[in-house]
Amino acid sequence: MSDQLSSSSDVTNPDPVSASTNAGPASSDPTNSNPSSPSPQSKWSFGSLEVLTIGLVVLILGQRWIASWFTSPELRTAATVFVSIVVQAIPFLVLGVVLSGLIAAYVPPSFFVKVLPKRPALAVPVAGVAGVLLPGCECASVPVAGGLMARGVAPAAALTFLLSSPAINPVVIVSTFVAFPRNHEMALARLLASLLASVLMGWLWLRFGKGEWLKVPARDHLLGSSRFQSFRQVAAHDFLHAGGFLVIGAFAAAVLNVFIPTEWLQAVADRPALSVVALGLLAVVLSVCSEADAFVAASLTQFSLTGRLAFLVVGPMVDMKLFALQAGTFGRRFAVRFAPTTFVVAVMCASLIGWWLL
Amino acid sequence: MTREVQAVVLVFVGGAILRITASDTYLRYVKESLRPWLLASSIILIGLGLLALLDIVRESRREQAGLSVQGAAERGHLGDDSRGGNPDGGGPRLDGEPDLNDGEDDSSSHHHAHGPSRAAWLLLLPVLAIFLVAPPALGSYTASRQVAVVAAPGSDAQLPTLPPGDPVPVLVSDYALRAVWDSGKTLEGRNISMTGFVSPGKNGKWYLTRLTLTCCAADAIAVKVLPIDAPSAPLPDTWVTVTGSWVPGGGTNNPNAIPWFKVASMKVVGQPDNPYE
Repeated sequence: MSDQLSSSSDVTNPDPVSASTNAGPASSDPTNSNPSSPSPQSKWSFGSLEVLTIGLVVLILGQRWIASWFTSPELRTAATVFVSIVVQAIPFLVLGVVLSGLIAAYVPPSFFVKVLPKRPALAVPVAGVAGVLLPGCECASVPVAGGLMARGVAPAAALTFLLSSPAINPVVIVSTFVAFPRNHEMALARLLASLLASVLMGWLWLRFGKGEWLKVPARDHLLGSSRFQSFRQVAAHDFLHAGGFLVIGAFAAAVLNVFIPTEWLQAVADRPALSVVALGLLAVVLSVCSEADAFVAASLTQFSLTGRLAFLVVGPMVDMKLFALQAGTFGRRFAVRFAPTTFVVAVMCASLIGWWLL
Repeated sequence: MTREVQAVVLVFVGGAILRITASDTYLRYVKESLRPWLLASSIILIGLGLLALLDIVRESRREQAGLSVQGAAERGHLGDDSRGGNPDGGGPRLDGEPDLNDGEDDSSSHHHAHGPSRAAWLLLLPVLAIFLVAPPALGSYTASRQVAVVAAPGSDAQLPTLPPGDPVPVLVSDYALRAVWDSGKTLEGRNISMTGFVSPGKNGKWYLTRLTLTCCAADAIAVKVLPIDAPSAPLPDTWVTVTGSWVPGGGTNNPNAIPWFKVASMKVVGQPDNPYE
């Protein structure tokens, strides 16, 4: 089958129309160039399907040898944490890409024009509050925010939604309420601090953000001959794309989870100002799903409530896997500016609300 | 990445999730309550992959029928929304639209920037880890790096009395909760059995340990109980069932307390289906 297909692509390849429609604004991105270079003469080209097949055969033959690397407790623990972060994230990622596929195929752009205020400065807080509607974690919100931008929603509003929905949706707030049985005000503090931070980030993007930093995901090339086919192609594309970056984030989180010594946490526990920043950094490193992080925060009993609030506000907005997902979806130039700023804003909002409420 | 490989990767990822969810393997990584979501997402992924493969087969058949060339020229106006009113349900179409996809995604040099990036290959890493390495459940290594935590009960209401049974099986986390936050009142005078793994402590001590999950193994929190008068100190990560009774000691009303348990008998057991609590 593959030789048929590669020869068929050789037929369409020289077509000038296809070449021009495919030259999108981001076509300079070198990561997508295909490793195989079929020559028009050859009937059979060595493409990624062959790489995949041969790679799998080698790996299956070498299974015992590979499994024998994983004997030390550190490596085994890191492998378990890696697999569990990916496995745990996949249902949420699937939810996110299904929604982004539905947005691309079934929701007309005029819908968002109608429901969102015309002025982006007003659309930002509306999008922030709309975050309540998506009961997922941060893995779901990245493809949805990408889908919203592709549908013409102002980037500032879509980014606010990206930050607020994993932090303020009902599932997360209820789990925070349950995890802090003796400090129910934690749930309210989390809601307010997260909403404040995400709206501030939206306004900051509106004021200082530059369009060229942001790669808005393209959709048109994925639309098929029917709405259902468009839906399938957008969902599959977004899953493969975001999933690859999720794996990078999960890998980094697993390595840090296992190899970073935990003693430094104890050392800063009784210094309030330092502990807020330290717990913010811990949230980045651990990359715990926002639906579970309240229980982790509750277990960090040696820290002040404000410090733990910083953990809860930063976690859903900046962490290893989220950074990787953002870099993959919106481009690296975006992520290296957006994530650190979000971290600073989130820690400040958490300190402010914590000082007021906790 | 060609469209065939994209489809195959989707099927592989869905298949790996389905495989661990069909057995109890998924319990090593995530909470039991995630199971329906894992099943649903694996079926969606396999479905997306298989339908994409079907598209490819259909298109190559159609091309063999020689209908491809004039279709390529119609590609320019496909980005608009005019297909919205198209009642076609995805069935075979003979006007060249589907050829768009060939030009986009096949292993030809001009498809960059639109297909998923090369990072998508990385999705094979967790698949390979699941099939080739099958990482084990977390154990004493994780537990011994953590401070034991006994979360306070959700309300100040009276804890329910233990169910009948002699010995009565009790979760390690339940025992710790009752011992630390209720001064062992509901445990006193009962013959209790608990199952957990061995994690090493200081000075040759060992703890009966269980990890509790909220969502996945990355958020595992260790609960520890100190066995008193245990007949021997088993090796770390050995699973044991201990039978005995509550004794005061280890501290109360402190989330980091490690309560005591007086062991009457102990036997080595296999790892339970769900290694976490």
